[in-house]
Amino acid sequence: MSGVAEQTTQQETERVAAQPAPTGFDAVIHYLLGKRPGLTEIDPELDLVENRILDSLGFVNFLYVLEEQTGEEILMENVTPSDFRTINAIRKRFFHESDQSGS
Amino acid sequence: MSVPVLQADEQLQSILDRLVAMSERDHYDPYTMFDWPDSLPEDEYWMSPELLSIHGTKVAESFTEEQKWAISKWESVNFYSLNVDGIRELITEIIARIHTKDFALSSEYFHHMIGEENSHMWFFARFCLLYGGKVYPDKGVQLEMKSEGESAHFLVFARLLLFEEVVDFFNKRMGDDERLHPTIRKINAIHHQDESRHVAFGRQIVAHLHRQLRQKLSTEELAELELYLKRYLRKSVDGLVNPAAFKDAGIPNPYQVRNEILADPAFHELERKMLKRSMSFLVNEGIFTDDVLPRS
Repeated sequence: MSGVAEQTTQQETERVAAQPAPTGFDAVIHYLLGKRPGLTEIDPELDLVENRILDSLGFVNFLYVLEEQTGEEILMENVTPSDFRTINAIRKRFFHESDQSGS
Repeated sequence: MSVPVLQADEQLQSILDRLVAMSERDHYDPYTMFDWPDSLPEDEYWMSPELLSIHGTKVAESFTEEQKWAISKWESVNFYSLNVDGIRELITEIIARIHTKDFALSSEYFHHMIGEENSHMWFFARFCLLYGGKVYPDKGVQLEMKSEGESAHFLVFARLLLFEEVVDFFNKRMGDDERLHPTIRKINAIHHQDESRHVAFGRQIVAHLHRQLRQKLSTEELAELELYLKRYLRKSVDGLVNPAAFKDAGIPNPYQVRNEILADPAFHELERKMLKRSMSFLVNEGIFTDDVLPRS
């Protein structure tokens, strides 16, 4: 029984490893989804803080994902907590893209 | 009438009296204590090589000795910058409590802590500015509403204790490491000397506050405190690996290097060593149910 489970897990790992790693804004979504296993999409207007997808303790690692994907260091004096509250806010502030109704 | 959070306790009072006496005995003038040469050699390690985040990792295999020296320079600036950030929080939280009803018992010792921490912040910042030209900025943001009450008091002192214990792991080793420049050795040794008192106090107050909370909180609420502190430890450990330090050291792909280090078993071995003492304390005191941290 456990052998089957291990085999399935390995197949899943190989399947995930074979997929190209997301980049840009997709990588940001991918990272946030990884914070809440079981979640497959995030409403672009969902409050990420109230829904405990993003919090102060996980913030710095998230910031580095944003910096890596935008290619720019984020200076804290130039941002406010509201820049990180929703997917749409993040997209607008750091990827200079307009709101989208779907995720 | 409500009772103070920190209640008179013969053992705690005796420890506080002893720590005050030790602080008075060990008092020094930080502004005249150190030699500050104009520059430090760039062809040496500024941190013990075994304490670098890259030590033993796969990604470090391709680095030259010159690159490792540069990483040691900028990781030491990052380490002292983290100290500056942590001390700023510590002083702020202690000042918010000094001479309040809840912490009247420890106010005398708080005066010593604040004075000592101010000295530490000064010499760490001076090192960063003299030899790195900057203090790396704190990248943290407070996103949630701050909690209040006794759980908040406990979490503040637990965070401060854990911050001091992680830092002290490095200070103790670098203070004794003959391979390092005398100025580097001395700031680490002096900090270790002061921090051993602060850690002793921190352990007393954290254990004391948690014992009180256990009488009041549910198992679920205590589990939430445990998870919070474990995530705080994860954040503290991950903060030692700063892409800005790799960038300043001239390492290409600094974010990728950081991600590879955080996933490397060698880094987790360093993490295990640096947290060993803290984990034993937290598990033995019943604050943690196990010593497993969440992943990055």
